[in-house]
Amino acid sequence: MNRQNDVLIRCHGVTKQYRKGNNLVTPLESLDLDVPRGDFLALMGPSGSGKTTLLNLLSGIDQPTSGSIEMDGVKVHALNRRELAAWRAHHVGYIFQLYHLVPVLTAFENVELPLLLDDMPRRERQERVEAALSLVGLSDRMHHFPRELSGGQEQRVAIARALVADPPLLVADEPTGDLDRQAADAILGLLHELANGQGKTIVMVTHDPKAAEAAARLLHLEKGRLLEAVS
Amino acid sequence: MMKLLPFSYAVRNLYRDRTRLLQTLGGGALVVFLVMGAYALNDGMRETLRASGSPDNIILLGAGSEESMQRSEVSEQAAGIAEAGVAGVYARLGTRAVSPEIIHMAQLRMPGGVEARGLVRGVTPRALLVHDDVAVLQGDVPGPGEVMVGRLAWKRFGVPPADLVPGARIGFDDAELTVAGIFTAPGTVLESEIWMDINDLRTLAQRDTVSAVVLRLDGGEPEDVELFTRQRLDLELSAIGEKEYYDKLASFYAPVRTMTWITAALIAAAAVFGGLNTLYAAFAARVRETATLQAIGFRPAAVFFSFMQESLMTSLLGALIGAIAAVVLLADRIVYLSAGTFRLSFGPETLFAGMAAGILLGVIGSIPPSIRCLKPSLPQALRD
Repeated sequence: MNRQNDVLIRCHGVTKQYRKGNNLVTPLESLDLDVPRGDFLALMGPSGSGKTTLLNLLSGIDQPTSGSIEMDGVKVHALNRRELAAWRAHHVGYIFQLYHLVPVLTAFENVELPLLLDDMPRRERQERVEAALSLVGLSDRMHHFPRELSGGQEQRVAIARALVADPPLLVADEPTGDLDRQAADAILGLLHELANGQGKTIVMVTHDPKAAEAAARLLHLEKGRLLEAVS
Repeated sequence: MMKLLPFSYAVRNLYRDRTRLLQTLGGGALVVFLVMGAYALNDGMRETLRASGSPDNIILLGAGSEESMQRSEVSEQAAGIAEAGVAGVYARLGTRAVSPEIIHMAQLRMPGGVEARGLVRGVTPRALLVHDDVAVLQGDVPGPGEVMVGRLAWKRFGVPPADLVPGARIGFDDAELTVAGIFTAPGTVLESEIWMDINDLRTLAQRDTVSAVVLRLDGGEPEDVELFTRQRLDLELSAIGEKEYYDKLASFYAPVRTMTWITAALIAAAAVFGGLNTLYAAFAARVRETATLQAIGFRPAAVFFSFMQESLMTSLLGALIGAIAAVVLLADRIVYLSAGTFRLSFGPETLFAGMAAGILLGVIGSIPPSIRCLKPSLPQALRD
């Protein structure tokens, strides 16, 4: 497989602008970026540098003002709201800093949510949810509600939810930002394993240099531009 | 096909804030209770007034008093003249169904000293020929110095039923009258009246006229009676069908019915605003959560549908509580208005009206908060 075919995400000339009061804000400007399949990419930069904006664009949560984003040949920037929702369901798994689990659903039910978007038999859903929870080491907590779990455990459930539908891309926005060092290291180890062992492509925004060390590649963003790329 | 959120999500969200749940349930229950009460009152009033008029009966009233028997004055001779002059009047055992009657609003002293105003009807034995739904339940028809009380008169006069039984004494001015019997006239306004001998009432009310003459036709046409009134202009009579009379009486009470509905609607509006307020707060606290669900791939419509399920479940549960409360507390309750007593009637339509109000409350109450919750863009909602 050549390099051209190995690219999962291709961004070209991506600019994002929005109005805030009377001001035109440009969090990202003319950004070019290729993310190879299986890459574990960390994005660092000061607050307001456009990290989360880039993550939102890569994952189809937001759309660029101009430029193009392609993933596996799909022109993500050209999809409408409904198409984006369907695309996200099959191509992207999210990991948020504050986990964003649904509090009234158990760990099992939270992880099952993405699978409800497919016509999947209940038995198969159950097997996949159990496998995902087993992968993150929470088989014994699957019927617990989020309030009954620690922060690290909640983040593991969020990771299981992100990968249960087997999307090619996982995006993580400060996944260790709300965890103590020990729990953070465990989560980073898990992400590392998903990238290296499972071949997932991971794009992670972080402020934590230690978290960035876990990634295979590190990019710095400042004022909406990629400044530096370190392999 | 759109993929929906699990039903358990909507169900469990109900318990997230028990205070909110109780508020919404209470509001829904109150609205349904009031709607069913208003509906039952209107229904009871309409049915009672409808049942009170017989299609075979024609009332002769004083010209110009067609809307009120109480205000009407008809010559004492009119009954005898009508009996001889109108063809096709029902007769039983040679007695023709022509009933002169005095309708008088009187202040009466009940046993135990309670004083209350109520409708007294002065009648002759012929009254039973024209009011064929009247049946004597207990005792006998009244003779001189006696009265016969309607089955629901106790309610009208505010005394216990046991105070108005045969043998009881009722004061009317200086006279003391004995209850001779109790009559029933199911579903009509007559049941709240007190009947007495027409001559006694004429004396006590100091009248030399009667209020009306009621004729029961058998083969005769209302036009014949109409013709009679035009031939005997000297009697100054006007003929009106008994059914038409009570229909007019029902329309007289239209403002009362309207007020009942307006009151129910105002309270319902207050409940909708209260419900909106609670749902705004409840849904606003879930902006990030619903954004997460959308980020996973659920469409905003699926989230909206789940909110709708949640709101409808609460309002329907409230409606059920309200409906049960209405049936337990209001069913068969008797309400008094000057036209008579009405029994609150709870039929399938009443239940339907209540449930429809509950559903409407749930739908209207959930739309604006849902829209507001889903309005922020996904990046903004995930950040909040």
